[in-house]
Amino acid sequence: MRTFFYFVLFMIIAVGVIFLAAVLGARGAWYFAWLVGTAMIVLISAAGGALLDTQEEHAIERAAAERDRS
Amino acid sequence: MALYATLQVIWWLLLGVLLMGLAVMVGMDMGVGAILRYVGRTDVERRIALNIIGPHWDGNQVWFILGGGAIFAAFPLIYATAFSGFYVVMLLLLWTMIMRPLGFEYRSQLASAAWRNLWDWVFLISGAVPMIVFGAAFGNLFHGVPFHFTWDMTSYYTGSFLGLLNPFAIASGVLSLSLAVMMGGLTVMNGADGALFQRARTLAQLGAGVGIALFALCGIWVHALGGYQLLSAPGQGVPQTPLQQSVAVVQGGWLANYTAHPVLWLMPLAGFAGMAGALLAARAARSHLGWWLGALAWIGVIGTAGAALFPFMLPSSTDPSMSLTLWNSSSSRTTLAWMLGFAVFFVPLILWYTSWAFWVMRGKVTAEQITHDDEHAY
Amino acid sequence: MMINGTVVTLSRIQFASTALYHFLFVPLTLGLSFLLAAIETVYVTTGKPIYKDMARFWGKLLMINFALGVATGLTMEFQFGTNWSFYSGFVGDIFGAPLAIEGLMAFFMESTFIGLMMFGWERLSRGQHLAVTWLVAFGSNLSALWILVANSFMQNPHGAAFDPLTMRMQLTSFQQLIFNPDAQSKFVHTSVAGYVTAAIFVAGVSAYYMLRNRHVELAKRSFRMAALFGVLATIAVITLGDALGFVDARVQPTKLAAMEAVWQSEPAPMPFNLIAFPSQARRENLGAVRVPYLLSLLVTHSLSGTVPGADALERRAVQQIESGIPAVQALKVLARDPGNAAALAEFNAHRKDLGYGFLVQRYAPDLNDVTPAQIDRAARDIMPPVAAVFWSFRVMVALGLLMLAYFVIAVLYTLRNKIHRKSWLLKMSVWMIPVPFIANEAGWLVAELGRQPWTVFDVLPTWMSASTHSVAYMAFSLIGFLVLYTVFIAVEMYLMVRAIKLGPAAHGDPGGPRSPPRPALAPRVAPAAPYGGKLEG
Repeated sequence: MRTFFYFVLFMIIAVGVIFLAAVLGARGAWYFAWLVGTAMIVLISAAGGALLDTQEEHAIERAAAERDRS
Repeated sequence: MALYATLQVIWWLLLGVLLMGLAVMVGMDMGVGAILRYVGRTDVERRIALNIIGPHWDGNQVWFILGGGAIFAAFPLIYATAFSGFYVVMLLLLWTMIMRPLGFEYRSQLASAAWRNLWDWVFLISGAVPMIVFGAAFGNLFHGVPFHFTWDMTSYYTGSFLGLLNPFAIASGVLSLSLAVMMGGLTVMNGADGALFQRARTLAQLGAGVGIALFALCGIWVHALGGYQLLSAPGQGVPQTPLQQSVAVVQGGWLANYTAHPVLWLMPLAGFAGMAGALLAARAARSHLGWWLGALAWIGVIGTAGAALFPFMLPSSTDPSMSLTLWNSSSSRTTLAWMLGFAVFFVPLILWYTSWAFWVMRGKVTAEQITHDDEHAY
Repeated sequence: MMINGTVVTLSRIQFASTALYHFLFVPLTLGLSFLLAAIETVYVTTGKPIYKDMARFWGKLLMINFALGVATGLTMEFQFGTNWSFYSGFVGDIFGAPLAIEGLMAFFMESTFIGLMMFGWERLSRGQHLAVTWLVAFGSNLSALWILVANSFMQNPHGAAFDPLTMRMQLTSFQQLIFNPDAQSKFVHTSVAGYVTAAIFVAGVSAYYMLRNRHVELAKRSFRMAALFGVLATIAVITLGDALGFVDARVQPTKLAAMEAVWQSEPAPMPFNLIAFPSQARRENLGAVRVPYLLSLLVTHSLSGTVPGADALERRAVQQIESGIPAVQALKVLARDPGNAAALAEFNAHRKDLGYGFLVQRYAPDLNDVTPAQIDRAARDIMPPVAAVFWSFRVMVALGLLMLAYFVIAVLYTLRNKIHRKSWLLKMSVWMIPVPFIANEAGWLVAELGRQPWTVFDVLPTWMSASTHSVAYMAFSLIGFLVLYTVFIAVEMYLMVRAIKLGPAAHGDPGGPRSPPRPALAPRVAPAAPYGGKLEG
């Protein structure tokens, strides 16, 4: 049931986005670009943060492996 | 042009609703600021009082900003004429008001007692002065404001700063302050316990009592003032400038609407009932009930003034015929219609999420909480 | 009718200084709110507590900044009415609407949720709190949207017409108002300039910690996120700056001529003044370093495009003034006698030049016999202060390019996770903090000084927009603002620097609960819940 609710919610959002894109795309292309661009900037920056955690974990593993070898 | 006239009336009512929202929501925060030094004896007590409104003052203040924006958008001539005419008073209001956000954010950042004491004075000033100005501005409307226009709608204000501080305006200003004190007291009662609660209770009763007396006084006084009557005008819902009407000033004329429509007496009745009810509720320590009755009091008091003034919004004492009414100072039909669409959608939404925010942060604020979250609490 | 010139000048100084001051704080809020949303998104998706520390720390700095943004924003809302009452009455029908909608749609959302964002950590689920943070970010930027829609009406008055029955401008098309091309590119340009500001701020403060070897883990993550955020935002700022220039070339040719110091029209392809020393009095540049072809390419995106110089624009203005004079005269008749059909016909024939009629009224108040000398003088007024606009523009562009270069280097090192060892880059990051603020201010100057001599471009001259105050009143309020704002900035800077020096570690007692729930609500806020929990040291 919970999954179904999320499905409905995301479908509504998706239809909303399509509608918004259709309306804004014609008359306010830059506004639409702002929405898409902001989401992109935020998510890339968030992904960059998460990537750093992975990099550090790898570095620790590598250091540990080298210590084991020696 | 019936649609245009309807829109004008709707916006006049909506502006009233926004001013009531402003008075209730901003008034309660300013009331807390004004009584802060008296309700809280120790630093922790004062911080409790501040943190009761802490999560909400910012949102509440937008009622004020929205009120200003709505006057600008729906009645641009009122905005232009009143804000420039009341210049020094407006600066007083502004300068005191802009200290308040800083008070919240900066007061508790440093531990120094002198620093915090200084900001507590700022809260007193930035709570009391704007509320007095708010009421005094209403009071001055009943007197008329000395302004006139040239052919191209350039407005000239010919009065002085002191002229705005006439006795009736001061009485209205103190009425507004006492209502704020009442609401501030009830708000502190809602969120605090112990000594703080008791002191707030006394102050809420004091505010309500003084409010009742002053509201009655102003009601009697208004009989002696000259009320404005529209003799001839281009009409309702007709695009016009304020240069095309004629207006007479009649003693006691502000009561004409009440004589014509006795149902309007419900407004002052609501004002008195709200204040009396709030007083009794505070005495009975039923602060939540008291808060809602206090809100009713504000609605009644502002409604009383609005009903008396209708259709005048900014009467001119220099040349009464140049008085601004909702018919000659409103925006165009297109603007009013678009704005109404936005208001119909967003005002309920705002009320919904504001209520949610209050619900999330419900409950009492304790000393423990403040000391534990010293870094983030106000 | 005639407003004292000193009053107008003092009103302009007051508006410019309070707006520039307000604009010191706004961009940081615009960007930092979205950067916080990014940080909290990582926190919610990964569940790592360090991101919550980051969110709370940067959130605290955001609040210190936000307080002044709100306070000085109030001044701006008042000032249209108090100091520019003719302007407010004349275009309030159009200009007021976006301001009111800003309150309804955006500022309410931002302000209500910012309280929950700061105080609701223990009261909201992680998902709810994240949603609140995103709403704050959207709220603050939508605020900017509506303010810039209003501003763009001043730059490019679309969707409005003068109504002689009410003696003021009235809205004719709401869609044209909000989809104004100037509004679109200016909003995105300003919003992403805010992102750049926040990115530089966060990167700079993080670099400060890394230099001192404090809070290194938090600083490394903040720096990484800020650098990525910043590099993309800087690219967007520059792109939109170009788009805005393209729009200006069409709708505000005088502003463009001033930005590029083009006094004389030239055939295509036009050279670009890299450096020039414009002289307003002599209508020429006292020396210039020029790059051939570049101006046509930059502004019109083609080699065959041209930009009209001040000379051509002034010649056109002479004709517009001559046509504007009968428009104002007809209006005077209509003010007395709204039903006068002849005057209405005369007005309609010349209505598009009404603003130019007002422009010459400054020198010929009654407009009865305007001399060619007076018309020439008014026509020369149409050029904004060229040197100031030209140099503000160059400062803005140069700093924009500097920030782009900085971010590219920063991203390179932070992606290799070597940033904390590059002390030269860290030092540079700290020194970069003032740069976006200067660029923002310069951008405001280009936009608003470049709009002169109009408050509403081609429609309402600045000289008649102000309120009819006395010089004493204006001096009084200007001094008041000067004193108050000086105190404010001193306090703000002190607290900001102090909060940065204290750093995030000073925030909670590590190991203990961050902030105990309000007792009545204990079940809602179980400290044992994964998010309410403990700080990792």
